[in-house]
Amino acid sequence: MHATENDLPADDAKDSLATLFEIQRLSTEDGPGIRTTVFFKGCSLACAWCHNPESISARPQLHWIASRCIGCGTCGTVCPEDALKRTAEGVAIDRAHCTTCGACAAECPSTAMEIIGTHWHLDALVHEVLKDQAYFASSGGGVTAGGGEPGLQASFLSAFLQALKQANIHTAVDTCGCYPAQTLDAFLPFTDLVLYDIKEIDPERHRTFTGRGNAQILDNLRTIGARMVSGAAPQELWIRTPVIPQATATEANIAGIGQWIAAHLKGTVARWELCAFNNLCRDKYLRLDRDWSYNSQPLLPLDTLEQLADVARRSGVDPAIVHWSGPTRKPPAPSDEKQERSTAATTA
Amino acid sequence: MSTAVQHQAMPPLRTPRQLSPRIQWLRDYYFQGADRKWNNQFLAWSTGTPWDVQFNEMTFYIVPETYALLQTLRGSFRQAARDIALPDDFWTWSLPERRAWFVKEVMVHHVPREILPGDLLAGARFNLQTSLCLTEAEQKSFDTALLGRNGARARMKWFHDHGYGNAGATSGHLVPDHAMALKNGWRGIHADLSDRYDKLSQTDQEGPRGAQLRAMMTAATMPRELAAAYSTLCRRLANEASDQERRQELRRMATHLEHVPWEPPRTFWEAVQALWLNHMLIMSDENYPGPGVSFGRIDQYLLPYWETSLKEGMDREFGKEILKCFWVHCNTVYDAMIRNGRQGITAGFGQLITLSGLGPDGRDMTNDLTYAILEVIDDMSPILEPKPNVRLHRNSPTALMDKVVDMISDSQGAPFLLNFDERSMAGMMREAERAGCREWIRPDNVHDYAPVGCLENTMVGNDRSGTVDCNLNLLKAVELALTGGRDLLPFHDPMTGKTEPVTQAGPSTGDAAAFARWEQFWLAYSEQTAYIIRKCVDTYECSESARAVYFPTPYLSCLVRGCAEKGRDVTRGGAELNFTTLEAVTFATTVDSLLAIKYLVFDCQKCSMAELMAALRANWSGFEVLQAMARNKAPKYGRDDDEADAMARQVMDLWTDLTWQHRTTSTHRQFRPGMLSWNYWAGDGFVMAASADGRPRGQFLSNAICPSNGADIKGPTANANSVGKVLGGRAAEGTADWDDTFNCLPNGASHTITFHPAIIRDPAHQNKFKAFLKGYAENGGTCLQVNMLDPDMLRDAQQHPENYPHLLVRITGYNTYFTAIGKELQNEVIERVSHQGY
Repeated sequence: MHATENDLPADDAKDSLATLFEIQRLSTEDGPGIRTTVFFKGCSLACAWCHNPESISARPQLHWIASRCIGCGTCGTVCPEDALKRTAEGVAIDRAHCTTCGACAAECPSTAMEIIGTHWHLDALVHEVLKDQAYFASSGGGVTAGGGEPGLQASFLSAFLQALKQANIHTAVDTCGCYPAQTLDAFLPFTDLVLYDIKEIDPERHRTFTGRGNAQILDNLRTIGARMVSGAAPQELWIRTPVIPQATATEANIAGIGQWIAAHLKGTVARWELCAFNNLCRDKYLRLDRDWSYNSQPLLPLDTLEQLADVARRSGVDPAIVHWSGPTRKPPAPSDEKQERSTAATTA
Repeated sequence: MSTAVQHQAMPPLRTPRQLSPRIQWLRDYYFQGADRKWNNQFLAWSTGTPWDVQFNEMTFYIVPETYALLQTLRGSFRQAARDIALPDDFWTWSLPERRAWFVKEVMVHHVPREILPGDLLAGARFNLQTSLCLTEAEQKSFDTALLGRNGARARMKWFHDHGYGNAGATSGHLVPDHAMALKNGWRGIHADLSDRYDKLSQTDQEGPRGAQLRAMMTAATMPRELAAAYSTLCRRLANEASDQERRQELRRMATHLEHVPWEPPRTFWEAVQALWLNHMLIMSDENYPGPGVSFGRIDQYLLPYWETSLKEGMDREFGKEILKCFWVHCNTVYDAMIRNGRQGITAGFGQLITLSGLGPDGRDMTNDLTYAILEVIDDMSPILEPKPNVRLHRNSPTALMDKVVDMISDSQGAPFLLNFDERSMAGMMREAERAGCREWIRPDNVHDYAPVGCLENTMVGNDRSGTVDCNLNLLKAVELALTGGRDLLPFHDPMTGKTEPVTQAGPSTGDAAAFARWEQFWLAYSEQTAYIIRKCVDTYECSESARAVYFPTPYLSCLVRGCAEKGRDVTRGGAELNFTTLEAVTFATTVDSLLAIKYLVFDCQKCSMAELMAALRANWSGFEVLQAMARNKAPKYGRDDDEADAMARQVMDLWTDLTWQHRTTSTHRQFRPGMLSWNYWAGDGFVMAASADGRPRGQFLSNAICPSNGADIKGPTANANSVGKVLGGRAAEGTADWDDTFNCLPNGASHTITFHPAIIRDPAHQNKFKAFLKGYAENGGTCLQVNMLDPDMLRDAQQHPENYPHLLVRITGYNTYFTAIGKELQNEVIERVSHQGY
């Protein structure tokens, strides 16, 4: 369960260029209203369960999408490193030799070879996200910077958020909080809402699951709470906790996080969301030639989520701020009773 | 990133609810379909002459599925027709007078009359095939115009076979002046006609104007006499009824029918009764069941009667019960060809009702009757007719938005189409400007527009805009630009087995393989577009001119302002507003094909023009890499990509400008642009050759103004933004067609977006969806159809149709039963939901 890849936080030299891996419009899950979420590539953590494995590395990555491939072999012909081979399973990428030069992706007629990670100029990105301004206005929505960890590209993030504030757009930053304290200064003044992850309260377990301890994360969060109390930005703070089987999905963790919130962030948290484990990302790991320890992990059952939400409500926070979301296992048919019991034991 | 979706089962398949035993019975009985003892199938009637014909095939020219049946239908109606005894001097009358008398005679004295058990409205059978009432000489020249070597049928068929589209003078597709007919009653209409007739000079009385007014006066007495006959029937049934309550109802109905529709209604019940008879007789008059004969703003003109009756003590639920009977009546249009299957030939009849929307001074017109009707729709769904259309605008009230989204959340999709006022009104103002009819469409009355048929915007009570009459595949111009004016592939007639030699059909725009610059290709495309539009106009003229001479509809003319004033039938341009609409089909396929040619041949030089043409001739077989590039690498319309959308704008500006340059010769109707597509984008996908966007022959074309299937990879907001942009977008307040909004398509444009039900899974998300609709009002098109479908359920419905008899899906402006559509179209709907493949 140790992190397999972890690029060091490294800020972009140029403040006008960002590396993104996706821009999602009509996003309804990353803050209030209708939003456009901009996903920054590169993360300071490497959570074992990460459902965006392509977000972890700050560098562009090559992957091959089987369902798009027409088997024309163009990629193999144009690869200058001879790093692409057709196998029975499809196209195999020899990652030791691939330099992600992008020649194959440029020539692939079916977009089966694809580079994840695109460079964006500030002006172009602002223009792109403002296209849905009418929907932000009608819904009380706006733009969310997520990732990856947007804080790793702090100077771009700062400029981006400032441009959005000038256009009167509601801004949110979805962050894991794992960066030096001065990163906060880069974005907090231009952020209306912070979506902040607390994944695990126990520092050692946190290190085991994510590759890093949580001391700095909690420090930064305390700073945000203190600024809010003093009337500085952001205006709103949401906490998010991924609820992961065999990891964070324990009563002790949820109760511990709740107690910490109650003790250190009193009154500043508007919403605490428990996000259920999601396994829709199996393909992503496969395409990056990475193993995933959660590959055959079933979704959590509904009652586990409800139980943990209940623990959260009784942990000392205002119970009204507790929500949970995400997929759960389909209710078992009567014949599945046996299987249901066995998984219940593992998640207890 | 959290795209996580809480696992939630699809809402259970929609079933009707809260129906009284009366309505439940009527609804169940209706759905017994061909097993019913009673039905409303076509009954045919003849003058008894050996040359007599009933079937007006021109009205089916826009339904390619029927082409192979036209001759059979003509023959079988003739064979089934019963003779009507004619007055001695019948053949000395003008054609409109003959027709008016004949239809009235049949309806009042020959068509059987029944009242179904518990029904609160009279007026059951109305589907007729009446004699064209032509003399032998007239019939002969009509047949020459129609069936001659270069007649309307042959030209229409050539036009379709060669992939241009279709065109024909079609019935209905208008909103009659129901408000006036209720307010004045037929007594008032008749008095007005009589007054106008008396004021004519003797020469005019003896001429065509006099004949037309006399015919209309005859027609104007038909509702009174039919109502009287139904009144007698109600009394007889009342006397036979054992149930006390039913006896009372039938007696009240008898009293109503002695009064309306001749006199203005006094109560809501009388108003709905009158409205039904007035509407139903249009379908008798036109011999075609409800193709877009629409009701307009029913929640506005019925409101005074609703309020009066509520004040006088009518139970609100009983008022809804009357409306539910009205709903059942509207569905009997489908009985016309009931033996062809539950829906007859098509599910696209489209008797549209319009709810809510703007009024004078920017006021919102939502009222209690709006909500009562929405409740009726909610209770009766799923059901096909009448098709509701809810008008939304920037300031639509929250309560209405809540109800709309509730209803969408509760069924497989919106049980109505959403029309957007600002964009739609901008189109009507554009039309006033372009056609010089500012007298009839003004800033102070444009809010009274209403859609007809599926979604086609028209003014109300004075407007016949031929909204479905011309359907042109823009893509044909791309094909002709590639070949220099010749079909890419020779036409092979599957009926005769013969292959026609390819001829020079369009202008010779040169060998595209020799073009060195994109601009040369664009020039060729422009020239070919001008040609196909002219071709469409000419093809339409054949049936338009024949209808004007041989198929008067004097009853309908009584209900369209302008006809009495001019003494001219609505089929001859009698209405105050006389447009005919050119509906462009294949818009996105055309734009994407042009984008692909520019990308592949000129910008990136991935292939030569000759290679591309060889690929298209081979239906991409052997050119799979090139096809993949065309599909995946070339830019596409519908992604809110400014460059691609600029090409879409260019295509739009070109064809709409060219369309405004035409009028019909015989009736002087101005052509105006729209985008409907009905189901042609499916069927014509098999007719048209492969296209440069990567589409092989046999795959569907793009639908109306929607992006090509699977091309809208940036999601619904990007999709909607692209649509709004190509319609003209917005400008500073007061500088556009209407306020700050442009719209180059007065007719409107069909736009469907399919969502996964997760978007409305809880109240918080329902609020976001409401906000999406408000955003659409700013950035989107004239109307939106929302499908809310889970692809898994659709696949299951495909496997087990027996479990999903009532599953409604929207195709393009019309609802249809999923299980009743063809496998290809089913797959298309599934693809469109799941956004997989291309």
